[in-house]
Formats: sequence, C-alpha cells, structure tokens
Amino acid sequence: MADTTLRASAARHAGGVYWRSLVAQIRAITEYPADFWVMASAGVMWNVLQFAFLTVLFAAVPDVAGWRYHEMLMLSGLLTVAAGSTALLCDGVWSTGTYVLKGEIDYRITRPAPVVVQVATSHIGMQGFGEVGFGLVMVAYGWIGAGMGLAAVPVGVLGLACAIVIECALITALCAVNFWLKGNNSIFAFVLLDLQHNAMTMPLALFPAAVKIVTMFVVPVAFVNFVPVAVLTGHLTSWWLVGPPLTAAASVLLAAGLYRLGLRSYDSSGH
Amino acid sequence: MASVDLALATISFKRKIAYKTTWIFSVLFGGWSLLAGLAVWSNLIGDGEMGGYDWQAMKAYLIIGFLTSTLAWAGSDWDMANRILDGLVAVDLTKPVDFQRARAGEYIGGMVASVPAAALGTTAAVLIFRPAPPDSALAAVLTVVSVLLIFPLAFGINYLSVLTCFVTQRFLGIQWARDTMLAFFSGMMVPLALMPVWLQATAWALPFVHFTTTPASIYLGRVGTAGALGLLAAQAAWAAALWVIGRLIWSQLVKKVTVHGG
Repeated sequence: MADTTLRASAARHAGGVYWRSLVAQIRAITEYPADFWVMASAGVMWNVLQFAFLTVLFAAVPDVAGWRYHEMLMLSGLLTVAAGSTALLCDGVWSTGTYVLKGEIDYRITRPAPVVVQVATSHIGMQGFGEVGFGLVMVAYGWIGAGMGLAAVPVGVLGLACAIVIECALITALCAVNFWLKGNNSIFAFVLLDLQHNAMTMPLALFPAAVKIVTMFVVPVAFVNFVPVAVLTGHLTSWWLVGPPLTAAASVLLAAGLYRLGLRSYDSSGH
Repeated sequence: MASVDLALATISFKRKIAYKTTWIFSVLFGGWSLLAGLAVWSNLIGDGEMGGYDWQAMKAYLIIGFLTSTLAWAGSDWDMANRILDGLVAVDLTKPVDFQRARAGEYIGGMVASVPAAALGTTAAVLIFRPAPPDSALAAVLTVVSVLLIFPLAFGINYLSVLTCFVTQRFLGIQWARDTMLAFFSGMMVPLALMPVWLQATAWALPFVHFTTTPASIYLGRVGTAGALGLLAAQAAWAAALWVIGRLIWSQLVKKVTVHGG
C-alpha cells in the first residue's frame, strides 16, 4: 500500500516536472516569434508537398493497391500528426546522443526528476506546430472526402491518441540506443522516420511480407497510422483496433526500460 | 584548391567516419527508401508505363535518385548549423580563413565520406535490379559530370539552409523542410513528367531539379546531346549562383551574431 502511494507520488512529481518544463519552453518560444513562424512554416512544408505528391499521383492512377485518394490523405495526415507531436512533446530526446558524448547527462542525474523527462523537455521542435496543424487538416479533408461520418470519431480519437503515444515512445527508445552507439546523430530514430515516411504513407499491400511483419510486430510503426486508418476505412476488420492500445503500452515500457538500461551503462565523457 | 581547403575537407572526412558503428548503420539503412520506391512504382507501372517511363527506365531513374540523394544528404550540415547555434561562429570570424570556403571544404569532405556507401549501394542495386542501361556512352559520361556537379550544388543549398540558424533556435525543422523540397522538386518522390505543367515549370525554375531529373534525363536519353549540355550548364550556373547568394546573405546575417548576450 505504502509502495503504491510512493509510486503514485513519484509519477505525479515526474508529471509536474514534465509539464512545468514544457510550459517554460513554450514561454521561451513566445520571446522569439520570428523563430516560431520560420519553424512552423518549415513543418507545414512536408505536409504541403506530401499533399501535392498524392494529388499528382492520383491524377495519373485511380487507386493504389485499392486505396483511394482521400484514404491516402488520412494515412499521411495521421503520420504527420504523430511525428509532429514528438517534436512538441519530447523533442529533446533527439539530443540524447549529444548529451551522452559531452557528458551532459551528469548534472541531470543529480536533479530530483527522471532523466528522460528532463532530456525530453530540453527542447520544443517548433516545426511540430505546423506539422500537427496541417496534419489534422489533411486527416479532416480525407475524412470528409472518404465519406466518413461522426459515428467513427471515437475510433479516430483512440487511433490518434495511440499514434502519438507510440510515436513518442518509439523515438525515445531509439534515441536511447545512443547510450551504447556513440554519436551525435540518432541514426536509428532517423531510420524509423525514414521508414515511416517512405513505407507508412503507402498501403502495406504494396510491400513484401517481410516489411509487413517488421512494421506490424518488430518495429510496430504500422499501428501509428496504417492500422487505425485501415480499420476506419474498412480495409481491416475492427478486431485490429486492439492493436494500437497494446502497442502503445508496450512501446512506453520499451522506451522506459531502454532509457533506464542506458543510464546504467552511462559512464560520462572521456572515460 | 588551397591546402587549407584540403585540410578542412580531410578533417571533416575523418570526423564523419570516426564513429564507425553509426557510419556502418547509415550505410546499411541508406537503401531503404530505394527499396520502398521500387515496390511502389513496380505496382503502379506494372507492364505499362507512366510519364514515359517503363519499368526498366523507372528502375534506372530510382537508382540514380538513390545515388544522388545519398551524396546530397551526406554532408556535414549539422556541424555547420551547430557552429552557428552554439556561437562558435564567433571564433570562426577571428580566423584568417574565409567562412564560406572553410565550410565548403568541410561539407565536401563529409560528402566524400559517403562515396563508398553510395557506390556500393548503387552497384548492388544495378546488379540486383538490372535497370535500363545508359542511352549511349556519351550519355553515361555526361551523367557522371552531372553527378559530380551535385557536390557544389548540394553545398550551396545546404549552406543557405544552415544560414537560417542565425534567426532560428533549432535546425531539425529546417532540415526536414529542405530535404522535403529536395525530394519533391528534384523528382525523387514523383517524376516531373507526371506533374501538371505549372508545377513542372516551378520545378525547372529551382535548383533541386538537377539532383535527380537532370542526371536521369541525360542517362535515359530523354534529352539529346545539346539538351544534356544545356542542363549541365544550368546545373553549373546554379552552383555558382548559390555560392554568390550564400555570400550575400552571410554578409547580412553575420551582423546578427550575438554570443552569450554580448
């Protein structure tokens, strides 16, 4: 009982630190309005060009592996919202490699808050505002164009929430690899995003079985956008809806576990 | 090229390959987008053709896109950006070396580090997927010239994107925006031939088109010898113009340098 209370208190404390750090970053942003607009516009760019890509493509073909234009817009839009959310909620994890190399984890270990929370909130990627904003526009445009009504909104909200959690957790987990694989760049996290931008904006039916297995069960990025949109549009049965919440829980456990293991093996710089 | 340029390029090259595990993984994973592109376009084209590309030609197009993008994205743009974001640019200003030239040396050095990966990946892709051969021996030679011109062109575009760090706090979003512009307007995402005329005109008015469409058009013989030479001239002109534009923008932005509030 006492143990449970202690854990709940620690979780509240971590949540409080996370929220206060994030608010501090947002207050800092308001001091640099030009920076905000440049970065938010940069975030919109990917969406606009992805929109253009799909529009150009569907001017030449009626469907791609059975998926129509508006369904594909939802696929891209949901991925963008999830990826943009990581920039807003945990952009600092991208600096894990640099902090490890420079020994800058040291003083974070000494502070009374989880290291991963401190690292995650050390930045906000302002491009995330543009990505999330335009991504939601793409999802809404695709939703209306695909003829989906309000009845499917709860499923859409569940998919969206799980997509954000899975994406943040997977990016954190892959950035934690830099505790062992020394380097400034989080190459695994970059590869994950590359995989998503190349494969997860297209129907999985286009790819060989190995890709389907990897994206479903090894690095479960399919549950970020493909599975929820496929269920919503009737390409998969509703049984698949069990997948996103389970994947979200597993991804969070993986991220927390990897970061904890990484901190155990951390030996500061120059040793 | 002065010895200082060569020295900076060598340092950048060594820095790039210093973290061997990271470098090996980037080599292994670099071909992923090529495989994804092949899967998508194989399904779309089938036995027919799109925008004048049959499956053999599209394979060549995608492999050229893989080669040029591997080179274009391999430079040390993050090192450049971090020097500005961290304020180290103030130290650079005290050095008796031209900032832009020094960064060009470092950038090209970083790109050279990616040549083995790009060559290995391209050779493997050619052997495995058997794309269409070059239209002629001359087309092959001119394609190589076009690929070589990507080195200064990539530096010009990356340098301009890095200069935005004088007015922003982070480089990641700028990098994504630049890479997306490059992927779309170069024709890597979708060939220009499939775009509406106004979008094609926009793409041809930008430097990005010379990363994929120009070398692929020359290789596949979609332009004659005169057309190929014209494209190469435009590519070289863009490299020179970006160098001058970079210098002009630098001269204005450097006035904004504030280090630790000073």
